[in-house]
Amino acid sequence: MKIDGEYLFKGPREEVWEIIRDPEVLATALPGTKSLDKVGENEYRGDMNVKVGPVGGLFSGHLLVSNEVPPESLTLTVDGRGSPGFINGSGNVVLTDTGEGTTLMKYDGEVQIGGKLASVGQRLLDTASKSTIRQALDALDMALQARVAAKAEGKAVEYTPPSETQFAAAVAKDMAGQALSSRTLWIIIAIIVIIAVIAAIWISRTHGG
Amino acid sequence: MATKFVGKRVQRNEDPRLLTGQALFVDDVDLAGMLHVAFLRSDYAHARLKSIDISAAQKRPGVVAVYTAEIMGDDCQPGPPLVSPPPTAKNVLFNSRRQVPLVIDKVRHAGETIAAVVAESRYIAEDAVEDIIVDLEPLAAVSDLEKALSPTSARVHEDLDSNLAAHMVQEKGDYASARANADVVIKRRITIDRGAAAAMENRGIVADWDAKNHHLTVWDTTQAPIPIRNGLASRLGLSEHQVRVIAPFLGGGFGPKMMMFYPEEMLIPWISMKLAKPIKWIEDRRENFYATTQERVQIHDVEMALTRDGRILGISDNFLHDTGAFDPYGLTIPLNTQSHAMGAYDVPNFHSELKVVFTNKVISTPIRGAGRPQGIYVVERMLDIAAKELGLDPVEIRKRNFIPPDKFPYEQEIIDQAFSQLIFDSGNYLPVMEKAAKLIGYDQFVREEQPRLRAEGRHAGIGVVSFVETTGVGPYEGARITVQANGKIGVATGVGTQGQGHYTSFAQVVADQLGVDVRDVQLVSGDTAEFHWGTGTFASRGAVVAGNAIHESAKAVRAKILKLASETLGAPEEELELEDGQVRVADIPHQSISLGELASLANPLRGAVEPGSEPGLEATAYFGPKYGATAFGVHAMILEVDVETMMVNIKKYVVVEDCGTILNPMILEGQIHGGVAMGIGNAFYEKLVYDDNAQLLNASLADYLIPSATEVPRIVVGHEETPSPLNSLGTKGAGEAGTIPVPALFAQALENALPEYKLEIVETPLSPNRVFELIQKKEKT
Amino acid sequence: MSQTIDISVTVNHTTYERSVEPRMLLSDFLRHELCLTGTHVGCEHGVCGACTVIFDGQPCRSCLIFAVQADGHEILTIEGLAPIDNLHPLQQSFIEAHGLQCGFCTPGFILTMVPFLERNPHPTEEEIRQAISGNICRCTGYQNIVDAVMLAAEKMSAAQRV
Repeated sequence: MKIDGEYLFKGPREEVWEIIRDPEVLATALPGTKSLDKVGENEYRGDMNVKVGPVGGLFSGHLLVSNEVPPESLTLTVDGRGSPGFINGSGNVVLTDTGEGTTLMKYDGEVQIGGKLASVGQRLLDTASKSTIRQALDALDMALQARVAAKAEGKAVEYTPPSETQFAAAVAKDMAGQALSSRTLWIIIAIIVIIAVIAAIWISRTHGG
Repeated sequence: MATKFVGKRVQRNEDPRLLTGQALFVDDVDLAGMLHVAFLRSDYAHARLKSIDISAAQKRPGVVAVYTAEIMGDDCQPGPPLVSPPPTAKNVLFNSRRQVPLVIDKVRHAGETIAAVVAESRYIAEDAVEDIIVDLEPLAAVSDLEKALSPTSARVHEDLDSNLAAHMVQEKGDYASARANADVVIKRRITIDRGAAAAMENRGIVADWDAKNHHLTVWDTTQAPIPIRNGLASRLGLSEHQVRVIAPFLGGGFGPKMMMFYPEEMLIPWISMKLAKPIKWIEDRRENFYATTQERVQIHDVEMALTRDGRILGISDNFLHDTGAFDPYGLTIPLNTQSHAMGAYDVPNFHSELKVVFTNKVISTPIRGAGRPQGIYVVERMLDIAAKELGLDPVEIRKRNFIPPDKFPYEQEIIDQAFSQLIFDSGNYLPVMEKAAKLIGYDQFVREEQPRLRAEGRHAGIGVVSFVETTGVGPYEGARITVQANGKIGVATGVGTQGQGHYTSFAQVVADQLGVDVRDVQLVSGDTAEFHWGTGTFASRGAVVAGNAIHESAKAVRAKILKLASETLGAPEEELELEDGQVRVADIPHQSISLGELASLANPLRGAVEPGSEPGLEATAYFGPKYGATAFGVHAMILEVDVETMMVNIKKYVVVEDCGTILNPMILEGQIHGGVAMGIGNAFYEKLVYDDNAQLLNASLADYLIPSATEVPRIVVGHEETPSPLNSLGTKGAGEAGTIPVPALFAQALENALPEYKLEIVETPLSPNRVFELIQKKEKT
Repeated sequence: MSQTIDISVTVNHTTYERSVEPRMLLSDFLRHELCLTGTHVGCEHGVCGACTVIFDGQPCRSCLIFAVQADGHEILTIEGLAPIDNLHPLQQSFIEAHGLQCGFCTPGFILTMVPFLERNPHPTEEEIRQAISGNICRCTGYQNIVDAVMLAAEKMSAAQRV
């Protein structure tokens, strides 16, 4: 399964780089994460609750960071297994300074998925993965802004990450929302308006002259 | 002898129990102290097993035991081969590899059993499965058939130097010279994918080792309890008489419930002996997709050589066949494909090379059709393509090639799935085709209705295909019939029943011979304690082989009845009649005796008996055919395609079949309806989707689409009866007939419905998406 | 030890008091607690309809409901429909029209059709096919099931007229 996209962080590139290499922040940005520990210079190990539709359970995994060019780019390689199945793959992350105090992150990669996740969760995987990634990046962005603000004021960082329930609700909402994307909604509204206009014209014609 | 019951639409004996929840299926078995099993199965399709830690699972409250291959030790042996190995011959290569109860060192398909948890409930057992920590080192998975044969491919079995499981060449005549003399040679690559049987009842086993009596009882969703009994006894170090295997009512078989010696089938009885407790395992639907056998892909490179007027001079069919991770079922499916690649036609020259390939997927074993649909798809498609090139009508080109009635028995000069010479016993194909064409209204549709519909912008198409079906294969079956003291007739036979109506069709045969009512014949089948000689229900052989054994046995009992009644009533045998459960002297009705009384007389408590005689009115007989009988049929269909959605609406569906003497037309038609429904699934809705890692992506009924009542049309069934000379009833099998030609029929009808796209369909299954893609591809070129 | 909840469920006009785990499925409760094995489990994910029972007068998939949700409710399973010597017209029609082969899906079809025929006593073939499209049968190809329902509708309206 291909995974790619972009995200605009509201903060400078150096801070973004710090955040994505900080296991404590990552652990909170991905709710469902039970633990995330740095076990080597570029190696993390963690446990995470994963849920895709009816399939869910605890995953244990390895995350390897490589090809680091701070603060520009890196490659992440993940290998996770649990009762719902396995996920492994790798992706490249590239950070670009937009020159306006924000950072554009571009990511692209490929994952292999197996087990229950693949065989029962298949139709939900695309939406679920996009939503999960977006929610995580939103949470990272919030953490980023808290950190930037705290640094500016010389204070300690105050930041409440979203809870597991909030996170799950957000993902579910996304997946339901996908069924009726805003573009589709506009098209439907447009059609209804057009039909109403045609009906009005027809009625006036048959009743009028 | 006029038949009162055979040939009639007799209502089924077994129905009232099935309709009121009073029929026993395996999951209904409930024994005191019974424990439940759940399996840890591999998520990876190909991996090395490094370590398993079961300690947490063992500690969970309610868990009684956890087993791994290491714990099983030497008892963890591969299952037996399920069919005899092919004869050693210079053009036959066969590498036999069979599955093990629990993975020893390497996982070879996703879903393979790694560990078994035994607990007080299935709920607790499944909880404990998640406690097990297993370390699997993934290996590159073998998924694509052609890539599997490349020298750089990962190897499913590392002791072999490739993934080639088998290789065999068969020849008839001289294809090369046929080709040289042909006016037209058609050459195509045809890809055929089938699917899962997906019976409504998943598999299950209950094993009960009675330590005090040293006796093992097993309830198993098997179509073949006798081979299971014999194999289990051998594996467990028991005598055959210490093992009883019962196949109760089964919720559908369709092939995968044959004598597979599935890992679970080998393990559950072993666990029961170890713990001296009843043990139950019931498969859930997801497991069914991962662990019950399927049929998958064949890739055919075919050539057909014809004369200008459409006569087939020769066929060459070289193909690859996906057997999955193991090949316990030998060459059955691909040999069936070869046996059917000449179809119902008089083909003088044939060449076929088959290669069976190991992949990291579930084992492939016969699913209704068992390789025949693939052979028929190939020959029917090639014929349709030839018809287009030669400007011939599809019905006409078939008529020109049918084996004529005077050529039977027709020797095909190749060997069949039983490694005996393939011979078509009898047939009269033309009347069947003509009846089908008439029933579908072929001429009227092609000349009037289709042009009219086309003018309205509608896409209606018609298809007509023919097929043969080899059935009734040996080796043999047996039956024991006993007249009981209460006048009811007890019949015991070895084959199991999965819905085909054996309780009734077999009873009809007995009722006619013994002059009793069908309702008074009580059949016991699928219980090795009642009858322990035979093989099982598969390959459309139940009615033919068991039915004929029952017929022979009934005739023998009839002879005994007449002999004893003649002595008792003091009248010669020729003057006796069997009717309404009585033996009467013709024209002297009061000189009669009931069968029950006669049976009691035949089993005296005192007095002398004639030396060499046998007690009771009982006989056992066996029947083994010289070779399998070949049935024939034609399917025809009118469908309409919505070109916006590519959805298909079948307006009319006709089947005319010739399976020899019909025992019960109502049951036969039911088999045809069900077979066609499965064929429609195979053709347009069902597909097992695997990715490059040999992961199954649609392991649920939500994503594997079985046709519902809105996808299956009303089916009109016509009959012709050309009896088989191979058995005294004249029957041939029909269990798979509905399924075999449907994909070929869909292809023809769809091409016919969409003429503007000039589609040439050389693959199956299709789907609305796939038809759309094919049209897009065509429009680009 | 896991938590259990006391429930009181009326099945086939008999009320049963039991203690069950919250996660026990209604299908397992009926089959293994109450030993009413006529309700069959085909998929456990709500697609095949084999587990259909009548729950407060409505057909429902017992594999998608927990036993605790049945507390205080009334359930009819196939065993409660009619005795074997006096079958319901639907059951009798299934015999006459050969509407079952292996019989595994059959209780689900029958219990789906009982409320259907109450609502729609004179259904067309199209309406019947729609109504049974949520029940999968792998054996019959549905034709004889449709015929059985038509036949039952006839029998039931004839009985009403008498």
